[in-house]
Amino acid sequence: MLPTTILIVAFASAGLVYLAGKVHARLRNALAVLSSLVLVGLIGLGYGAWGELVYVPDFLGLELVLRLNLLAWFFAITVAAVVSLSTIFSLSYMRRKESANFHYSATLAVEGAMLGIVFAGDLLSFFIFWEIMSWSAYLLISCNRGRALEAGLKYIIMSLVGSCGMLIGLLAVYTGLGVLRIPLVAEGMQAASPGFVLLVLLTFGLGFGIKSAMVPLHTWLPDAHSEAASPFSAVLSGVLIKMGIYGFVLLMYVVVGLKLLFGVGAAWLTFRHVLCWLGAITVVIPTFIAVLQTDAKRLLAWSSIGQIGYIILGLSFGTSLAVAGAIFHALNHALCKSLLFLAVGAVEHNTGGVRDLNKLGGLAKRMPVTFACALLAGLGLIGIPLTSGFVPKWLIYRSLIEDGYPFLALASLIGTWGAILYVYKLLHNIFLGQLPEKHREVRRAPLSMRIPILLLGLGILVFGVVPGIPLRVVQAIGETFGFARLKVTLWGLASEAGALNVLNICLAIVIAFVVVFLIMRLGAKGPQVSQEDSYAAGSAVPVGRYHYTVDFFGPLSRMIAPYLKDRVDEFYSWVGARARDVFSVTRRMYTGYAGTYVLYIISFLALLIFLQSVWKVW
Amino acid sequence: MVSKILQIVLSPAIALVIGMLLLGLSRKVIARIHRRYGPPIYQPVIDVVRMMSQASISHGALFELGVVLALAGSIVTVLFIPLGGTSAAAGSHPLAHRLLCPLSSSGGLLVVIYLMLFGPVSIALGAGASENPNASIGVSRNMLLALAYEVPFLLVILAVMSHYGTVSLADIVSRQQQSGWGVLTVPLSTVAAFLILPAMLGIRPFDLAGAPQEIASGPLAEYGGRYLALLTIQNGIQLFVVIALFVNLFLGGGVNVVTFLLKVFGVFLAAELVSAVLPRVRIENALKFCWTWPTGLALAQMIITVVSK
Repeated sequence: MLPTTILIVAFASAGLVYLAGKVHARLRNALAVLSSLVLVGLIGLGYGAWGELVYVPDFLGLELVLRLNLLAWFFAITVAAVVSLSTIFSLSYMRRKESANFHYSATLAVEGAMLGIVFAGDLLSFFIFWEIMSWSAYLLISCNRGRALEAGLKYIIMSLVGSCGMLIGLLAVYTGLGVLRIPLVAEGMQAASPGFVLLVLLTFGLGFGIKSAMVPLHTWLPDAHSEAASPFSAVLSGVLIKMGIYGFVLLMYVVVGLKLLFGVGAAWLTFRHVLCWLGAITVVIPTFIAVLQTDAKRLLAWSSIGQIGYIILGLSFGTSLAVAGAIFHALNHALCKSLLFLAVGAVEHNTGGVRDLNKLGGLAKRMPVTFACALLAGLGLIGIPLTSGFVPKWLIYRSLIEDGYPFLALASLIGTWGAILYVYKLLHNIFLGQLPEKHREVRRAPLSMRIPILLLGLGILVFGVVPGIPLRVVQAIGETFGFARLKVTLWGLASEAGALNVLNICLAIVIAFVVVFLIMRLGAKGPQVSQEDSYAAGSAVPVGRYHYTVDFFGPLSRMIAPYLKDRVDEFYSWVGARARDVFSVTRRMYTGYAGTYVLYIISFLALLIFLQSVWKVW
Repeated sequence: MVSKILQIVLSPAIALVIGMLLLGLSRKVIARIHRRYGPPIYQPVIDVVRMMSQASISHGALFELGVVLALAGSIVTVLFIPLGGTSAAAGSHPLAHRLLCPLSSSGGLLVVIYLMLFGPVSIALGAGASENPNASIGVSRNMLLALAYEVPFLLVILAVMSHYGTVSLADIVSRQQQSGWGVLTVPLSTVAAFLILPAMLGIRPFDLAGAPQEIASGPLAEYGGRYLALLTIQNGIQLFVVIALFVNLFLGGGVNVVTFLLKVFGVFLAAELVSAVLPRVRIENALKFCWTWPTGLALAQMIITVVSK
């Protein structure tokens, strides 16, 4: 009963919020926040329940089913939490914007669709919710008009290609196995031929790969993420692209299953290897493209692709450690990336829409909470110990190294060092260094922006210090896929070879910090001076004009930029342009004269008569 | 329990003393090569004590936090690195003692490479909190230099980790003591690691991040007094950590602390001799150098290791 209630609440509130917006903005805001919080509450209430439930007994002769299990709850709670925080953030961000009604309502619809996806118990409901999600996200992305329209179009065309792939897969499954309920499909797959398994993997994989923005299917993401409104970018990058990841998990470990998965393919060209290498490429190249960006949101968008690479790599590597790391990293990335998008949104809001990294600077003193939390999220993306990013990355690296794939490990480690570069560039260019004169008056972010940012930051810290909380859930999910049990403790892993104990690291750092701090207090104390009072070898540094940001990693950019063109995007654009040429030629057959059309009809009839008289076709 | 606590106190103490000694030694050795007399070997200690008593300006909480976090991070890194001794299985040498590595089972080498980031990242944050453009330039160079040497360095440690099939540094050391040093089993990696050693230590020809004549010591431009004192200590410990890692990976650690430290001094002297006769390079050249010879050698070794497995 509960999952139906959750879905009804989500979709009904999407409609109600829109109507409430016609009455009064405050009513709408209250209703939007309330319903997103109610959804979090409902999911928290039902968390952990198992079971199946038929919610539409007869849809064209098929049963539509909802299915509850730990994997679904894990993703559902992440979705609900991120969307509710984004909604709270929107209160200030969307104030006095024309599209606010639509924004709230469509965000709730996207949430409903995402919850539908994770709870779907048969492939048809999965597909229906998937389409609702794609279309409402399309409307939200192109909400801002201008360049956003183009970005939205790119997104929806790619999504449609993915959907077509999924539809083919769906039909293949139905004609081949005659069932669509996921457990029954999984049973049927065990007896299916390898070619059929590969077909299902590829068709569904196309849809999931596009949604999760895996290279070479990533080209919609940088435009869409940077053009969408910041609170929705947080949802988009935090949870929406994770639906592709959820799809991969479902496809690989529930539908196809561990036993079959590693058998697909021949010799070295197996599905697993190809996907692993695509994951590795997805880690390295987008990470370094992110280093080159000057638009804060575009930088974060490319970084999203890079981080998705880790998840794909871990999932497709398919050992108990790597899969646990991948699912944990999905949570970590949801927290970190939503926080960073919200932080950039707060900066954008406070500075009147500036997100060019070359035009900001020195905001740490003006927006301390936003800076501190953004720093935490940045460190989480890198995977520094004591943030939630450390354990998942450690699990993935360790699995890659110990199972003898050092080149994959190299790709993921280099991705981490690239992440340091772009994270520091983002933080330095926005928050550190000199404060430009025109931003002197910037004030701290409003409370409704600080609360979601703080809560996400808290999440990163708590899951970093006590990684056992999510790790237990993740390892239980892994066990349902048939992986060996991991010895999870509250502080990490206990095992004979290569244990991990975050508590030791945490205590060591805290104690060392206190000791060093006390030693520093022993030293002579000097006055605190303003930032402008700095050393410049005798000549004064002009205030507010000497923030070193433009070309921050210049020598590196000049070296690697020629190799980092997005050729995939260029290729897709080329295909698009050629298709347009062909269509514009074809269009000329519509001349507008009745005579021409009569000519077409007569010649077509003549062709038919000719065919019949020569070959006797009919 | 008592021996554990003793180890936790002893490891950073050794690192502190040896680190300061390395700083002094470096100045002395370079002076002698330049045919100068040079300062006394304990000069850095004098400097630290003096600086602690001198008042210095501060640019706010983040400015100070950067210093404290950097030093704390370096001290914590030391706890994860074996400083001589053997694990029980291989303790046949008469002068051997138990492995001196307080946190040997808390994540291994992967944690070490992450913890080694703490120092540079914290200094970068603290330097960024000042408004000095020189500091920002220095930080940018430092991060690029880190990327430059990390590519070959990661290849090197991945080759070592896959050769021994473990991510635990303590295991790598004990395996070397049983079956020959890393310098013999992964020779190309050793050469590559030695080539990038000056870059990892931040000494000439790769001292471009803190170049005093160009960018007023870069990230350190605004730091003075007690902050500079702590950062000097941090620099010393960082030198020690890098060299200790090299000794552990390729020279089999040490059966006891004394042999370990002798090896540390030996490697440091070798690196200093290279450093003393070379001029400073630009960051572009550093990137190009690190990504050609050391990377090529490390890559070759890694391919050999993977194929021969």
